[in-house]
Amino acid sequence: MTELVLTPWRRDRAATLRLYVGFVRLAFLKFLAYRLRYYTGVVSYTVFVAGNAYLYRALYASRPEAAGAEIGGLTLAEMITYIAVAWIGRSFTFNNIDRMLAMQVQQGEIAMQLIKPLHPQTVMLFEAVGEAAFRLLLFTLPIMVVVVPLFDIHGPPDPALYGWTLLSFAMALVLGSQLNFVVGCLAFDLKNINGVIRAKHISLDFLSGVLIPFTFFPGWFQTLVAWLPFQGLSYVPVTIYLGKRTGGDLWLALALQALWAVALFLFGRLMWNRAMRRVTLQGG
Amino acid sequence: MQLAEYRTSRWQDLRRQTGIVLAYFAQFLKMRLAYRVDFLVDLGANLFAIGVQLATLGVLFSKVPALKGWSFESVLFIYGFSLLPLGLFNLISINLYRFAERYIAEGNLDRVLLRPVNPLAQVLCESFNMSGLNELLLGTGVMIYAANQLELAVGPLDILVLLVLVPSAAVIYASVFLMVTAVSFWHEDRMGLAPPIYNVIRFARYPLTIYGKGVQIFLMFVLPFAWVAYMPATWFVGDAEQTRWALLTPLVAVLFGGLAMMVWRAGLRRYESTGN
Repeated sequence: MTELVLTPWRRDRAATLRLYVGFVRLAFLKFLAYRLRYYTGVVSYTVFVAGNAYLYRALYASRPEAAGAEIGGLTLAEMITYIAVAWIGRSFTFNNIDRMLAMQVQQGEIAMQLIKPLHPQTVMLFEAVGEAAFRLLLFTLPIMVVVVPLFDIHGPPDPALYGWTLLSFAMALVLGSQLNFVVGCLAFDLKNINGVIRAKHISLDFLSGVLIPFTFFPGWFQTLVAWLPFQGLSYVPVTIYLGKRTGGDLWLALALQALWAVALFLFGRLMWNRAMRRVTLQGG
Repeated sequence: MQLAEYRTSRWQDLRRQTGIVLAYFAQFLKMRLAYRVDFLVDLGANLFAIGVQLATLGVLFSKVPALKGWSFESVLFIYGFSLLPLGLFNLISINLYRFAERYIAEGNLDRVLLRPVNPLAQVLCESFNMSGLNELLLGTGVMIYAANQLELAVGPLDILVLLVLVPSAAVIYASVFLMVTAVSFWHEDRMGLAPPIYNVIRFARYPLTIYGKGVQIFLMFVLPFAWVAYMPATWFVGDAEQTRWALLTPLVAVLFGGLAMMVWRAGLRRYESTGN
């Protein structure tokens, strides 16, 4: 009887990269099929910016004379820009990785992911990039075309800040996708995480700074959010756009964003590995 | 032998329909309590959402003495009031959101139409969203707190008015979303009309006077969300003229409710099953 020895199968790095980059294209095409849904989304986002713009105009108009024209270090024009840029950025970075992962766990489809020689976390990261590319072209740009002239949104004080803002939103995308992956992993324990996802959306509206700038809050709240990763989702890129972070401050903010993105990625790996040791698959 | 014609009086019919709706509700409760953890998490998320909204108001009002002349307490009152009709509406509305998928695409409407009970009542009552109870409870709490702070003199007449205005406002919510839902009888709604309309609700809780004239007219006569919180709540916190306007809320409810029923019925007549 001859002994059969299989050489261990290995994929070289370039092939691995090509494989994962393929998922960017696939995700882009998948969302392209649902593009109609995003037309009404443009209306939704415009409603949000418009409603908040009215609210803040009323707020600034109701300010007693003695208090000055700024609230929390922002003029009214800056405040409206803050809201517009925050929601424009959100339209680009948003994704539903947590919901998708939870659904795959609930319906047992996750089994199909596990037999493939790919890491689902990495696949989902690349899919998030594909989705964001789709969003940028067919969602974020249309929103900008509507919102920018409607609310007379100006560029940042220094043109170089366009680049830094874009980089910061790109990191917000990675940070957000890793956060969603971690939340999605909770489905291995909880099965149904709809309530958790809802709670996440509600707290992020507050903790990412997308609704109200942190400088409106009392000091203890500002200290708290400075130690949390969520400011990297919206507050950091928007304040960069407004020129509120210069020199070392800018670098520090970007570095912190990157650090949190990496930390959440690693934490996601940890959660995933822990789940894999004990997972029982539902369905067939 | 001649069979007596099967007939029931209107009163008997109403009693029977109410009984069936209550039975639906009991059935749903049993089903829901089987998943206690989901139920509790849902309640928790809801409490949290309301807490965050209250904190938002608190932060904004820490910067100004009043918003366009509206004090924190009166805006708080309007917010508390807004939760009551929203709670009533949320209790029964969940199937409106999934109507196109669950009733038309999956053919569940055939089953509904075969039964001798009002189809709309069946669709609305086959599932309840219990978090609506949360909103009713918290809204009442916030309203009582705000009314105390404002030192409002609340008499029996005010309670009576409240008991008329809240269901009227809930009917207005239901009418708007019933019309949106009925669109799916004509078109497969691939665009998702409901979310942008739903998003307007959160801005209908602020005094209408903070918006421009165009927006005000739009919210009063086109997408009538001015009538779900601000207009009726001014009975309690507005000046004399606004108080009169508040009493128009039931009329708006009847008008939009009638319009929505017409659209819904026209849709039902047009309905053809997806078949097998």
